[in-house]
Amino acid sequence: MVSDRRYLNNFFYVLPAILMFAIFTIYPFIKTFQLSVYEWDGISPTMKFVGLKNYLEIFSDRLFWNSMLNAGIITLLALTFQNMLALLLAVIIDRGVKFDKFFRTVYFIPPILSGVVVGLVWKWIYDGNYGILNTILTHIGLEKYTTSWLSNPRTALVSVAVVHMWKGFGWGFVILLAGLQTIPRELYEAAAIDGADSFKQFWYVTAPLMLPIFFVVSVLTILGTMQIFDLIYSMTRGGPAGATEVPISYIYRYMANNELGYATAMAVIFGLVLFTLSILQIKISRKLRKV
Amino acid sequence: MKAKYLYMLFLLSLVLLTSCGRKKGNLQEIVIWHWMTDREEVFNQLAKEYYELKGINIRFETYAPSDVYREKVRAAAQGGLLPDVYSPLGDQRELASFINAGYIEDLTEVMNTGWKDLFFESVLQQNTYNEGNEWKVKPGIYGVPIDVVSIQIFYNKTLFKKAGINPDNPPTTFEEFIAVCKKLRSAGIQPFVSGFGEEWLIDVFSKSFEYQILGEEGIIKTIKGEIKYTDPRWITIFELFEKMRNEKIFAEGIITMINKDAERVFATEKAAMALNGSWGINVYSGMNPQLNYDVFLPPKLTNAKYPVKIWVSSSFLNVNPKSKMKQQAIDFLKWLTENKQQITLAEKTKNIPSNKNVIDAIKYDVLKKFAANLDKSFPTLPVMENWKVVGTKCRGIQSIIIGEKTPRQLADELQAEKQKLLAELK
Amino acid sequence: MPAKTEYVPFMSYIILILIAIICLFPLVWMLSSSLKSQDEIFTNMSLLPGKLHLRNYVEAWTRGKFSTYFVNSLLYTVLGVFGILVITSLCAYALARLELPFKNLIFFILIIPLIVPLPGTFVPLYVLLKRLGLLDTRTGLILCYINGGLAFGIFLLKSFFEEIPKELEEAAVIDGATKWQIYFRIMLPLVKPALATLAIFNTVAIWNEFLLALIILQDPTKMPIQRGLMVFQGTHITEYAQLMAGLSIATLPVIMIYLLMQKYIIKGITAGALKG
Repeated sequence: MVSDRRYLNNFFYVLPAILMFAIFTIYPFIKTFQLSVYEWDGISPTMKFVGLKNYLEIFSDRLFWNSMLNAGIITLLALTFQNMLALLLAVIIDRGVKFDKFFRTVYFIPPILSGVVVGLVWKWIYDGNYGILNTILTHIGLEKYTTSWLSNPRTALVSVAVVHMWKGFGWGFVILLAGLQTIPRELYEAAAIDGADSFKQFWYVTAPLMLPIFFVVSVLTILGTMQIFDLIYSMTRGGPAGATEVPISYIYRYMANNELGYATAMAVIFGLVLFTLSILQIKISRKLRKV
Repeated sequence: MKAKYLYMLFLLSLVLLTSCGRKKGNLQEIVIWHWMTDREEVFNQLAKEYYELKGINIRFETYAPSDVYREKVRAAAQGGLLPDVYSPLGDQRELASFINAGYIEDLTEVMNTGWKDLFFESVLQQNTYNEGNEWKVKPGIYGVPIDVVSIQIFYNKTLFKKAGINPDNPPTTFEEFIAVCKKLRSAGIQPFVSGFGEEWLIDVFSKSFEYQILGEEGIIKTIKGEIKYTDPRWITIFELFEKMRNEKIFAEGIITMINKDAERVFATEKAAMALNGSWGINVYSGMNPQLNYDVFLPPKLTNAKYPVKIWVSSSFLNVNPKSKMKQQAIDFLKWLTENKQQITLAEKTKNIPSNKNVIDAIKYDVLKKFAANLDKSFPTLPVMENWKVVGTKCRGIQSIIIGEKTPRQLADELQAEKQKLLAELK
Repeated sequence: MPAKTEYVPFMSYIILILIAIICLFPLVWMLSSSLKSQDEIFTNMSLLPGKLHLRNYVEAWTRGKFSTYFVNSLLYTVLGVFGILVITSLCAYALARLELPFKNLIFFILIIPLIVPLPGTFVPLYVLLKRLGLLDTRTGLILCYINGGLAFGIFLLKSFFEEIPKELEEAAVIDGATKWQIYFRIMLPLVKPALATLAIFNTVAIWNEFLLALIILQDPTKMPIQRGLMVFQGTHITEYAQLMAGLSIATLPVIMIYLLMQKYIIKGITAGALKG
């Protein structure tokens, strides 16, 4: 039985967040959302109401769904390789190594670097003419694998994915490490006394306690990776011939060409897809927690 | 509750910040928004000169890169906060939207007082709308060209000599062009590079052939849907790219190169020819001052019915009709396009002046060649092809270049898309 | 004190070092390019510049007007991050532990921006700021930045708050602590790692932010450091050497903040808080 006054007091805690949110997020959000049922070029004082026409067109827009697929592929790669790498490194560092401060700092350099530098450097690494990657491959006798990584439709997407993962694993690393560090040492010591080796300790102590953190990292990875844009823009512009087009870059195209209604509608649909993915994640994590 | 104190402290600091953020604008001031970072210095220099001359303060504000600039302009248009002088920085269709929404001053009258005679006809056309244009813009002149750039094919004289080609005799026909490419390949040199990761550049190269085969009329007819993309003439154009691919003229990775990358490839002599704009003169001298190069026009096709045409573009500035300093702004723009200022601009930026009277004052030989060919500009049409169709065409050409599509496939795809769009318009 | 150094096999070190090299490489490249001359960047492929062009740094600082922009960026980042930490921790704590009607609904609405990316919301945002009189003000920009960090912050902190055993709270209540004291003295220190993480995330995000600042601000004296870097990226010519120098200068503070925040993720502090 909670008194209204108590509710009111508690409400002060969330008030600033809600207030800011209502003004700076919800209001612009609604205004933009409205655009999805119009055709508008962003300039004219008049907008043409078209109802659900934009949405219907999107369902048959092959290029849009292709872009979703591309983003999906990168996300899958990130969920597996990127997060496994982050976890592995976090576990090793958590166990205790020499120079751990050095490693911790270094792993966070990629996320800190500006997109400009990352795009430039990796383009140079992948370059078909002067790239270091090709040079290394040639030196170790794998010359037949050299190619123009970002221009070859077969390798372009994965090449960009690698850069994304390179830039992203630092975030996961930091969060996972933070999570690992909140696990009391006593639990490990107790398990060790019970005769558990490192693997058993991980499985019975670390993993269960880290489940919520894993969940957070996974959801953030999915949300963040599906919305990838900066790297695509600076490395391939969605090329070659659309092989690296992702939803945001595709939506951006429409915005740059002043078809704001269609662009917004695509964003809404994209949002719904991400929302569904997140709900699925929540359900899965709830089930795992019960275990 | 302590929480309250925390909020108040925080809000207080924010309020303090607001109060030290305000500045009243100077009323006798003209604000110009532009995106040309390389011209910032010379613009500020000219602004100072003008102030000494007329006592009016000109404030140039730079916002770059260009897509950020465009966003800012669009946001300002929505908010009613456009400056005195700016540019929508878009194509004809976008400029038309701005004009129809009342954001651009009609300059026809003041241009007709002799001002327009300063400029190259083909350049002025780009911000001019004629009778019967598809966007229903009132015919007239709406912008002021400040300088001009154009695209031709650069070639490296040293590399040509190395491959046994006479450097003073660049190719003029398509056959000669392919022959030159073959020689370069056998000498182990990449023949041709360009920023084909940027769709508009592919369009530029394609158009130089399109205009030769279809002419202005043919292109207009295609846009209107009267000529199909499956027409043999279009297929011939796409087959040119197939031929170029088969003859291996393209540099490695060309279809994801942005122009800056292509410029680097040419400047470091990793390719012998580059389709690039006159700004390349500036770029190359920064990357490799020793580079020995010249330019030539896109090659002539044997079955060409029409003359060769090249891409010519101008940086335009437009005037805000709601500006309180409208007349003064127009006066300033007039001054900016006078001979003396144009010469200053050309010297500092190495761009072609928009004022045709000062062409002879250009010091750089290569730049002179660009200026001499401005009459060959793509004509400004009363209609424009839908951006999605152009996008499909360019991406399709990218696919042809990497061997993933045939010309016939591209033609069919284009025509299907065009058909769908035409049906929607009805 | 690390409990199991002996258990870390040699292999682990190899992995750590390999990854470290791959991470450091671009930074080294950036620094080495910043000390070369423009044409050298493209001709000299080695990591060692021929001559040390320290002049690039001076140029970057002066032409990029870094003195002004740096201070601005500092202001925006510090106030922005502080604002985010305060507002999100209060909100997340309430959503995790206090009683409120429609808790789940509120949480859900607050994290929508993470899920539905609506590009182009900055045009209505621009018009909104104009109506509020916040256009071209530092306050307006900072408020936007704080707002931008809410969704993620609340999402992260709520999880961390929920993991803290309820017994700790109950013990404090028995000891006579008020809600505020529980929040400030017990809960907050326990989520220090998450707070530090948020601090880092948002520092990087705000420090590197460019688009919103350029659209909302007009007065050049209010511009952040990214604006300064723009000077070297001309429409056609990019002055790579100076750009790299500028980027090196711009990246330094963020690395320093990370080093600072890092120590809060060290076990010692959390273990100490749990015992106390």
